[in-house]
Amino acid sequence: MIAVDAAEASPPVAAHLEASGVVKRFPGVVALDGVTLSLHGGEVHCLVGENGAGKSTLIKILSGLYAPDEGTVSLDGLPLRSNAADARAAGIVTIHQEHNLVPDLSVAENVMLGIWGERFGLVSQARLRVQAKRALEVVAPDIPVGVPARSLSAAEGQLVEVARAVAQDAKVVIMDEPTTALADQDVDRLFRLVRDLRGRGLALLYVSHKLDEVFALADRITVMRDGRVVASGEASEFDQRGVVRAMVGEDVELYVPRDHTPGDPVLEVKGLRREGVLDPIDLTVRAGEIVGLAGLVGAGRTELARCIFGAEPPDGGEVFLDGKLLKLKSPADAIQAGIGLVPEERKQEGLVELLNVRENIGLALLDRLARWGVLRRADERHTAETLVEQLDIRTPGVETAVASLSGGNQQKVVLARWLARRPRLLILDEPTKGVDVGAKAEIHRLVEELARTGVAVLLISSELPELLALSDRVAVMREGSLVAVLDRSEATKETVMFHAAESSETGGSAHA
Amino acid sequence: MPSAKAGRSPWFVRLVQGQGLLLAIFLFGFILFLLTPDFLTKTNIINLFFQATILAVFALGMTFVILTAGIDLSVGSVAALTSVLSMGVIVKSGLPPVVGVLIGLLVGVAIGALNGLAVAKLGISALIATLASLAAASGGAFAYSNGSNIAPVPNALTDITRAEVWDIPILIPVVLVFAVFAHLILTRTSFGRGLYAVGGNPEAAKLAGIRVDRVKILAYTICGFTAALAGLMLTARLGSGSPRAGDGVELTAIAAVVIGGTSLFGGQGDIKGSMFGVLLISMVSNAVNLLGVPSAYDQIVQGGVIFTAATLDIYRNRYIERTMSRRARRRGEPPEEGSEADLPGDSEPAGATQALQEER
Repeated sequence: MIAVDAAEASPPVAAHLEASGVVKRFPGVVALDGVTLSLHGGEVHCLVGENGAGKSTLIKILSGLYAPDEGTVSLDGLPLRSNAADARAAGIVTIHQEHNLVPDLSVAENVMLGIWGERFGLVSQARLRVQAKRALEVVAPDIPVGVPARSLSAAEGQLVEVARAVAQDAKVVIMDEPTTALADQDVDRLFRLVRDLRGRGLALLYVSHKLDEVFALADRITVMRDGRVVASGEASEFDQRGVVRAMVGEDVELYVPRDHTPGDPVLEVKGLRREGVLDPIDLTVRAGEIVGLAGLVGAGRTELARCIFGAEPPDGGEVFLDGKLLKLKSPADAIQAGIGLVPEERKQEGLVELLNVRENIGLALLDRLARWGVLRRADERHTAETLVEQLDIRTPGVETAVASLSGGNQQKVVLARWLARRPRLLILDEPTKGVDVGAKAEIHRLVEELARTGVAVLLISSELPELLALSDRVAVMREGSLVAVLDRSEATKETVMFHAAESSETGGSAHA
Repeated sequence: MPSAKAGRSPWFVRLVQGQGLLLAIFLFGFILFLLTPDFLTKTNIINLFFQATILAVFALGMTFVILTAGIDLSVGSVAALTSVLSMGVIVKSGLPPVVGVLIGLLVGVAIGALNGLAVAKLGISALIATLASLAAASGGAFAYSNGSNIAPVPNALTDITRAEVWDIPILIPVVLVFAVFAHLILTRTSFGRGLYAVGGNPEAAKLAGIRVDRVKILAYTICGFTAALAGLMLTARLGSGSPRAGDGVELTAIAAVVIGGTSLFGGQGDIKGSMFGVLLISMVSNAVNLLGVPSAYDQIVQGGVIFTAATLDIYRNRYIERTMSRRARRRGEPPEEGSEADLPGDSEPAGATQALQEER
């Protein structure tokens, strides 16, 4: 879908944010080592880099949250003080990965958050609404201003944040991994919006590790590694491979081709259904096979995984593992039977952040680590240490707080938990979400290795290239039904999207 | 990737916290010693510890419950019900003391299990569920005893509490052994690990195969058991079964646990901290006694101590969050996408949302 880019004509004043020679040190590490970056009005500048490259620190300095140890930040030639309120007043707005909406306030109040224009402490609701509407008009005219923010989807919430930036007359908008929580069609909408804001003369800094997005949007690309800018220039000067090489400092095999013959069925799902969420579903995953589960967000993939895993009770149907009927009463039962699940939200569902790496790895293994309820601590430590080494989890040690690891390493901790258990079936729900390129490749390699050792893998991913590269077969879900199962040979981006997105009116042509 | 120096894990942070409390105890003790030399006499110190034993037993069970992010308000009235029931069985019905004691403990276990069921299976908030059992158990105690004390307590029971080795009441080492046992359960068993996981992140615990309901029920059951045990100790010390035994002790026990570094949000804390918390609170009462302050002031000081503890709890969490993100930041990146807990400027929207989410 193509929207006509609004007014390409250059605006009256083009903002110009410049950071030069910025150095930021934290105890024990130099997070930024002489970074120079300039943003121009009417330009989308994409910043890429692995986790740990210093992107977030740079964002925080640009938005006034950190003060640089050396170097300067200036807007339109005027030096900026390192103060979040000043930066915002100057027109620099940062949109973070996670939404900063107050759930119980209305959309209007959220759009105008902090700029309520109160008089004697009183806020005029009417004026608030009018102003909020004006800002939303630009961004998302279909979002009602009166409803509470709680009722918005992730995508809508983000649009409200963008509207807030518009309402504040932002000159510079910084977006930090804005598509992490978005479905494909919402991503398209966001892209149109980004281009629209560019057309209005705003300077945009778009931070992402999804290279497809970067190349779709960028006028200019800057690559960071280890706190330095390692490459910067017009987008046309780069190709994907070049960017990846710059990011990791070496060539990375993104997807390794692989061939093997799957064995006997491990998982057999027969007529599994859940009222209003899952229509009866039949699905088989064989030993050593990776079955990809494709579909739009909300198609019921996570729900299917949770039903198989016993985390949500199904309303009917049966699930067999190695020919044995499962009870589907609780995850504990499923784990006993030999199923593992890497959940989608690793912070909310995967990790216990107050526990350390060792304790998190051992969490699904407590029954085997304990004798008469007493944990064998040496075994636990040994298991954790072995897996940390095997998965190359970058942590000072197994006693380190898991919350202090980077996203990719946290995800590996969750994976390690299941590797320790050696399940028959491993379900992975968006295993590379929010993970940097290097860790992503390692996770892919691990998943393939698992399959090679005969584990059946059910892989849910919204990143089609990943899904297509890893899967032996791709099952496509739409609105709670399994609409197609495609062999590796017939699974392409087009066929999968065709089945996943086909609207009910044009339906009927599926050749499943 | 810039490699950070080996980061210290949060248990270290907790240790610092524990030592901070120890420091407070010594400081308070020193001030008391300056105010009255009576404080640092052998008799008073032994007396202080002896007075602390009952609160310690309450706090042991309470620690288990609070670690699950729960709370148990019913412990005081469970103690009262145990007190009158066991004495009633012994004095009124003439059954052997062993039977009375066992029945008393059984009642505690049963009420604890009911609390756990209500919280885990019915999903009633812990505050409300245990408030209900507080009312019911207290009412039961008054109904059974007609509001009067039941005496005499059999010698077997009073003898145990009065027994001494080398001038030290035997209850002191016995309760210490209980505490060590509770500590081992928390740190060395799969149940203990499950308790921390359930308190820290119930959804993650469930998806890792921990039977969250069972863990919670067991925690409340343990708390009921310790409340009953403490009720029996109170009975022996008061010399009668009283429906007023343990009146209001639930708040003191909760305060002791929280002062000791166990977070009301669950998932962090330990027995050692709770025991230090008990000691500090007992010192407050002891000081009030020694200095001849009217006992009403005891309550005021306790209120102040609880308030301080709650404030400490919040600052401790911020401190832990900050150390974690500082450690992560040494690697030049926040620990996880979007964990902005350490941002300055609480007044901005980020802070507001964060706070709302944390209130759960």
